[in-house]
Amino acid sequence: MAARQLRFVVAFAAAAVVAPGVIASHATGTDLPTGLQGVVRVAGRAAKEVVIWVDAPGGITAAPAKARLDQRNMQFVPRVLAVRVGTSVEMPNSDRLLHNVFSFRDGKIFDLGLYPVGASQTVKFDKAGLSRIFCNIHPTMAAYVLAVDSDYFAVSDGQGRFTIDAVPGGTHTYHAWRAGKAFTTGTLVADPDRPVEIELP
Amino acid sequence: MTRRSVLTLAAVLLSPAIAHGQMAAVEAVQSVGASTESIASAGVQFRGLAEPMKGLRLRVETAWGDRSEAQSDVFGTAYPYGGRFDVIEAYGEWLTERRGLRAVKAGRYRTPFGLYNASDHAYLGFLRPPLIRYGEYWGLSAGYLEHGVDVLVGVPQLSLEMSIGRPGDVGEVMRRPGWNSTVRAEGSAGPWIVGASFVNTTPYEPLVEDAPGRTHFGGIDARWMRDGVQFRGEWLFGQYSDFATTTGGYFDTIVHTPAMGRVTALGRIETINYDTIPPYSLVTHRYSAAARVRAWQGLSVSLGITHQGGQQTQESRTAVDLGITWALRQDLTHTQ
Repeated sequence: MAARQLRFVVAFAAAAVVAPGVIASHATGTDLPTGLQGVVRVAGRAAKEVVIWVDAPGGITAAPAKARLDQRNMQFVPRVLAVRVGTSVEMPNSDRLLHNVFSFRDGKIFDLGLYPVGASQTVKFDKAGLSRIFCNIHPTMAAYVLAVDSDYFAVSDGQGRFTIDAVPGGTHTYHAWRAGKAFTTGTLVADPDRPVEIELP
Repeated sequence: MTRRSVLTLAAVLLSPAIAHGQMAAVEAVQSVGASTESIASAGVQFRGLAEPMKGLRLRVETAWGDRSEAQSDVFGTAYPYGGRFDVIEAYGEWLTERRGLRAVKAGRYRTPFGLYNASDHAYLGFLRPPLIRYGEYWGLSAGYLEHGVDVLVGVPQLSLEMSIGRPGDVGEVMRRPGWNSTVRAEGSAGPWIVGASFVNTTPYEPLVEDAPGRTHFGGIDARWMRDGVQFRGEWLFGQYSDFATTTGGYFDTIVHTPAMGRVTALGRIETINYDTIPPYSLVTHRYSAAARVRAWQGLSVSLGITHQGGQQTQESRTAVDLGITWALRQDLTHTQ
């Protein structure tokens, strides 16, 4: 019984210390982290595989992350991958065929050669830009890796929806890109109560 | 197999994946070619791929190809050119990582001997198969297919593949009915991938009357690759029947450094020695150089020059071959 009482007292005390701060933060304005949700459209139709990223003050603050670009069923999965600059991308071969992953045109230039089924190689995307990824054996395999100078980015899903976590509230410059098109820049307001709608040309 | 059967099979294979919103895709690869051997060709392959649930893969592949002349191995890399639709592969495969078991495949699939995938023969830019992979030279035909079960065990660095089945071959060279087995071991370390294979099977039909015994071949293969340069070789030895032995192999180099962009350069030297009762023996060598250019999206152009020494199997000692391939893919489900 004494132990339960002690846990209650500790929890109450902790809540008493933290809660006012939380309440105060919500009351003070728009620069607190919030989830940014939105929809991206092209000519009024939901657009999938669009990369959206937001310029936020402070630049990149998060630690380098890991991401994965799978080779599966003779395709790259996902077809469009957005990563923060400095991210190491694992590229496993999940097929029973050999693949040869390479990028020659711009962005990160590399050729991983052949590697066997179940094996994986890693590429670090250490500068911002778009890399076009191909397999030299299978001509229908193609993917894009877009490395961005931001902690705040997302790729739209099949319904054009996207969510970017922890975007500071307020007005920001955003960038958008989709395969075969030029980069687009605009402004948006990060407000948890108002999903963003982005219309691309 | 009729076109209706193929379409039905494809629909059955793909429908579970589509219904469950999992991965499903179809591919079409069209190709045309011409050679100074006065031969023109056209072909098309259709593939259906599906993953209706995690770890279960389904695949069906059909091909149609035709040539103006049949007396050559040009364009015969991995598909028959008999002027009809053939089902090349149709199988289900379960991939797992349980206690060393990595995959179980059942259905119709390529004989897992040496560098056997269509990727190795058909897409690299060589327009002729290796001499040891063209059935009419009494090697191990690229048109050999199994109706059976294939099991892969091991880890990525060291694996063992075992297949038991009955022949389901396509093309001019077809084995007589019977059981056959294939075993392949493969290991990789750093830039190396090495393998050893053994197959025990029935001889092909033209030898049934006067060729007793069974076909059994052993083979070794190796690849080394670094910075876009690949060296690759395969050596095969064994007997086609009790009266005939075949020995041969190839060594090739495939160069595709990032600085080469869309161009892949290839070179190959190869030999085959089919030893049997004269005048049917064959000893020949071949030297090939080729380039493949990825022109635009799925469109690629391959140009090869081949020079043959020893006994001649082609119209002229030196031939130039040109091939154009256009590959399309349509994903039927969202895969992210």
